[in-house]
Amino acid sequence: MSSAPNPAENRLTPADAQPLLEVRNLRVHFPTRQGLFGQQRGAIRAVDGVSFQVRPGETFGLVGESGCGKSTTARAILGLAPATGGEIWLDGQRIDGLSDRQMRPMRRVVQMVFQDPFSSLNPRMTVGRIIREPMKLFGLHRPEHRKLEVLRLMDLVGLNPRFLNRYPHEFSGGQRQRIGIARALAAEPRLIVCDEPVSALDVSIQAQVINLLMDLKDELGLAYVFIAHDLSVVRHISDRIGVMYLGRIVEQAPADALYRNPRHPYTQALLSAIPVPDPELESRRERIMLTGEIPSPETEYRGCPFASRCPVAEVRCLEVVPALEGDEHQAACLLVDEP
Amino acid sequence: MNERSGTDRPLLAVENLQVQFRTDEGIVQAVDGISFTIAAGETLGIVGESGSGKSVTNLALMGLIPQPPGKVVAGQARFQGEDLLGMSPAALAKIRGNRIAMIFQDPMTSLNPFLTVAQQMTEVTELHLGFSRRQALDHAVAMLERVGIADAGRRIFGYPHEFSGGMRQRVMIAMALSCKPDLLIADEPTTALDVTIQAQILEMMQQLQREEGTAIIMITHDLGVVAKLCHRVNVMYAGRFVEKAPVERLFAQPRHPYTLGLLESLPRLDGQGSNRLTAISGSPPDLAQLPDGCAFRPRCPYAIERCASETPTLVDQENGNRAACLIDVTTSPRVAETKRP
Ligand SMILES: Nc1ncnc2c1ncn2[C@@H]1O[C@H](COP(=O)(O)OP(=O)(O)OP(=O)(O)O)[C@@H](O)[C@H]1O
Ligand SMILES: Nc1ncnc2c1ncn2[C@@H]1O[C@H](COP(=O)(O)OP(=O)(O)OP(=O)(O)O)[C@@H](O)[C@H]1O
Ligand SMILES: [Mg+2]
Ligand SMILES: [Mg+2]
Repeated sequence: MSSAPNPAENRLTPADAQPLLEVRNLRVHFPTRQGLFGQQRGAIRAVDGVSFQVRPGETFGLVGESGCGKSTTARAILGLAPATGGEIWLDGQRIDGLSDRQMRPMRRVVQMVFQDPFSSLNPRMTVGRIIREPMKLFGLHRPEHRKLEVLRLMDLVGLNPRFLNRYPHEFSGGQRQRIGIARALAAEPRLIVCDEPVSALDVSIQAQVINLLMDLKDELGLAYVFIAHDLSVVRHISDRIGVMYLGRIVEQAPADALYRNPRHPYTQALLSAIPVPDPELESRRERIMLTGEIPSPETEYRGCPFASRCPVAEVRCLEVVPALEGDEHQAACLLVDEP
Repeated sequence: MNERSGTDRPLLAVENLQVQFRTDEGIVQAVDGISFTIAAGETLGIVGESGSGKSVTNLALMGLIPQPPGKVVAGQARFQGEDLLGMSPAALAKIRGNRIAMIFQDPMTSLNPFLTVAQQMTEVTELHLGFSRRQALDHAVAMLERVGIADAGRRIFGYPHEFSGGMRQRVMIAMALSCKPDLLIADEPTTALDVTIQAQILEMMQQLQREEGTAIIMITHDLGVVAKLCHRVNVMYAGRFVEKAPVERLFAQPRHPYTLGLLESLPRLDGQGSNRLTAISGSPPDLAQLPDGCAFRPRCPYAIERCASETPTLVDQENGNRAACLIDVTTSPRVAETKRP
């Protein structure tokens, strides 16, 4: 890449470096209210004790069922959802509970690509302004060079630079998604939390964007939290992967190990459900179908939250909440180490 | 997943659809004369480059192109004998959500942020199926359960922003399927869904199709979904269909260089991590300034001189695919590396 972000700030660091991001036992509970006076009745336990670390130059993939708390985790890291428990450390500084104003300088360090590209783009700003805004905010580049930088970023993500003066509604779904990526890159952050950043892209442009993210990681030591439901993409880009289920991480491992040897029954089911782009193969695949009641994030569980749908659950699974155990390859299941 | 006979009378027949937008850069030819048919009980996949006109095509059929700046400049779309494009807005509104349902690519633009999910879901069935409030609510809860929303009986009283991205998408799917439409247009319906729930939803669509003979237009970037669900596939590039084939043959014997490039860009689960993915080189075409000849030429590894002057149309290939390409990709050499224009 030809831009010149401060190299000292973005140095590639060895794997044993201090984590850039550390999430410790994060909880985000949304109160549910009912009744005339809106008494709190219970809570949606969207994130319920999540811990992980991301080092400079590392990509942490986060996968799991729709509604399991991935976006809420991401938003909490950016200070956009309130952490109701636990701690978030960014670059050695504790950031959970910071006010908007206190959080602002941290946005230079961490940026987010939002899952819903349209509602995260200001409809009254042209693309050019949307992408230039972070440069202005953080005083990057000389003002007269910013336009050039905007054009360069647009080209990098595969947006025609001639679209500079268009508004968000004049773009297709996948084009909007790339505006969000260009805007995140414009701040020259050290960590980007990407929430489904390539879900609306065709496979070729998806490949282009993923290659770009991986190049930036190699060249600048950028780190990512990468949320995606496409498990082949996640495998491709991630160094480590956390599998979430109902607000918790149930398995965490280096990417290859996770795919080669999934240990949690939920991960096994997840991997078996991946549709393959080959009609021939696809019609012969065996799937682990998950049956049983999908648990609600409003209920507090005594045992393993996955037990109601687990194909191998035993009685004891209903009694003990399994802890995430293991060194490099951790799984939260009482049954994993048995034959 | 066998090939359907083309003799069924089509439920929908689109002929030479053209849609333009007026922009600062000039006239954008978003859809440039496409034709297709779909029969009852059939699933037609539309895949193609981001920005190639897939959503605009289907928005046009539903009468939802913002005019201005947009304009349907030509075309016909016969649906059960009536031309959708010539219909009054009122007549079209009656068909929408009832005989034709659409799952939009962007859930938040079609969900009202100020109404609860219950209010939005019951409105459709009260209006189109004449359900009572109670019936409509029970039905809506049952539909939410079927798309895998836990505790649907309570969650239905929440607002869209209290739902996750994938949950919103499922609310839209539940709404679209509620009225058992004759034609379901699904624009990237499962982009926000994990594979297990995606499998469940695709299963649901197939069941509806088996029971009601629903025709489905499936727009998706997910070639796995295409492989699982579609009978036939049309590949779109720069506002046109460049290849049409039954699903098995599209994957096994693609005949258009763009389709080939697309298939080669797939990350493979069995592949080694962290090597580079292949992307089609060059930039997406500028729809306000399409080059003469074939729109894919500047990026095509097979291109020959004639491609710059002749605009290829869809023609039958030796294997039965239809492709808009002057070249026989099975015998022609590739130029080693095409340069970025
Ligand atoms: N209101 C508009 N004004 C100008 N151009 C528009 C407008 N809406 C769409 N376009 C352009 O029309 C083209 C087709 O858009 P469309 O949304 O159909 O793409 P798509 O194939 O659905 O792409 P994606 O896969 O990214 O959703 C795009 O290049 C887009 O930029
Ligand atoms: N503002 C909110 N108020 C109440 N509940 C919320 C709110 N935001 C999220 N939730 C709930 O928290 C849970 C987790 O949501 P989240 O958006 O984090 O899921 P996700 O893993 O990103 O799912 P998806 O893959 O569908 O995007 C869901 O049950 C959701 O309904
Ligand atoms: Mg999400
Ligand atoms: Mg689209």
